[in-house]
Amino acid sequence: MSTNTRTILICSGKGGVGKTTLTANLGIALAKQGVKTAVLDADFGLRNLDLLLGLENRIVYTAQEVLEESCRLDQALVKHKQEPNLALLPAGNPRMLDWLKPEDMQRIVKMLSDQFEYVLIDCPAGVEDGFKNAVSASKEAIVVTNPEVSAVRDADRVIGLLNTHSINPVQLVLNRVRPNMIANQEMLSVDDVTDILALPLLGLVLEDEQVIVSTNRGEPLTLSGSKSPAARCYSNIASRLKGEDIPLIDPSKEGSRIRDKFKRLMQTKIF
Amino acid sequence: MSKIRTHTVTFPLTRQEDWKETIPRKLLDLQPGLVILDCLDWFLNCTDFQKIQILFNQAGLTIILIQSSIPETIVSASAIGLPATLKIASNEKESKKSLGQNFHINENPSVLFKKGTLRSGESLEAEGDVLLLGDVNPGAKISAGGNVMVWGRLRGVAHAGKTGNTNAKIVALQLRPLQLRIAQAIARGPQEKPLEGFAEEALIESGQIVIKPAKAHI
Ligand SMILES: Nc1ncnc2c1ncn2[C@@H]1O[C@H](COP(=O)(O)OP(=O)(O)O)[C@@H](O)[C@H]1O
Ligand SMILES: [Mg+2]
Repeated sequence: MSTNTRTILICSGKGGVGKTTLTANLGIALAKQGVKTAVLDADFGLRNLDLLLGLENRIVYTAQEVLEESCRLDQALVKHKQEPNLALLPAGNPRMLDWLKPEDMQRIVKMLSDQFEYVLIDCPAGVEDGFKNAVSASKEAIVVTNPEVSAVRDADRVIGLLNTHSINPVQLVLNRVRPNMIANQEMLSVDDVTDILALPLLGLVLEDEQVIVSTNRGEPLTLSGSKSPAARCYSNIASRLKGEDIPLIDPSKEGSRIRDKFKRLMQTKIF
Repeated sequence: MSKIRTHTVTFPLTRQEDWKETIPRKLLDLQPGLVILDCLDWFLNCTDFQKIQILFNQAGLTIILIQSSIPETIVSASAIGLPATLKIASNEKESKKSLGQNFHINENPSVLFKKGTLRSGESLEAEGDVLLLGDVNPGAKISAGGNVMVWGRLRGVAHAGKTGNTNAKIVALQLRPLQLRIAQAIARGPQEKPLEGFAEEALIESGQIVIKPAKAHI
């Protein structure tokens, strides 16, 4: 399995744009679609992937003990009860940051590659050592950004760095899209963002309160088969990642079309 | 059904010949159709290309592609809306190009050439002129002792004539930088949407940076 395993870095540059949420939801969605998936929390400083997946209370060992060889990999892996195709390798102590080397990260990911078809790596924000270590262990990347100028700027910086590490493919996920705001030109549009970043768009995730609700419960949206807008977005992203041809819809353009129809209706009925 | 022909017309191999005479002669033999025009290593400006376009149109020919090994020629062609690609002759240079590294084109060692997008946080500097085939994104910087030529969208910061040359220019297919500098002069980029397909240039006129359509010789 090792050489065919897809090791995918989920990164953004800027913090708080939705990397961990994407990693958790994508992990569950892939597992549901029958893919053996590992999610690796590489954000040692601010670990919270375990929390989002509701696995915090089941952690015994972490990546740290695996690297120190004080436990085996399968002892540290936390299998998801409802979706046994998914396992989490938790981040160790934040002090790991002091000694972790790219080779350590590569060793961990290599071990995971022997057992899983997909390895999703939740990357820390920034472009410093934590990021560089994670990049060195990845073959592909998903860059997450929000339709905000500062997030796009940071994403652009990260894409430049990924290119120097010959990460391929690098794909884009645009998170927290608000069709109304885009239609009113209060927010960067999908085209504005892809125009600057010039990456293939893997998918959009709509702004959705249910994301926050599910985060607090420790049950990713994709777990419950929720019909909420963001849940559908995450599932579509998982399918596209696997190579399925799921058309992309720009909701702001859809929205305006509906608005146009509505306007026309209003006009003909002469309210 | 008649097929549309695509001809290839090549510029004279030597400078002894005047292309203004040889090209019209070559066109006499051609059926109307589409043309790929290979300009080899001739330096051509926008005015040249306007003449060329008229010549070809009169012969019922439409230019679909300009090829050249000279960056300035490429920029001039694209400035008047002709699709153009840089062709590098020898294999050695070809391999360098594909690596996306910076290198100087032998025919004109004062031009630093790079293919690819400059992303936020990246910068490209040259002592002479610089030609980028790609975009300069917001947060990226391109600077040169001589002219800055961007065959793409300039949306970052550009500085031409950084060692004091006030005759230096900044040319781009889309000139919408955050900030422009020529020698000591500084200007913020314009806000309006640019015209598609036409290059613009920034230069110093009576002490101030002005932006206009790139028409003059580059
Ligand atoms: N599509 C979305 N809609 C609404 N809230 C979201 C969405 N995506 C992420 N969030 C919220 O944004 C915050 C940051 O997300 P997180 O995944 O922790 O970001 P990162 O890992 O990039 O720092 C969280 O509170 C999360 O619930
Ligand atoms: Mg996170």
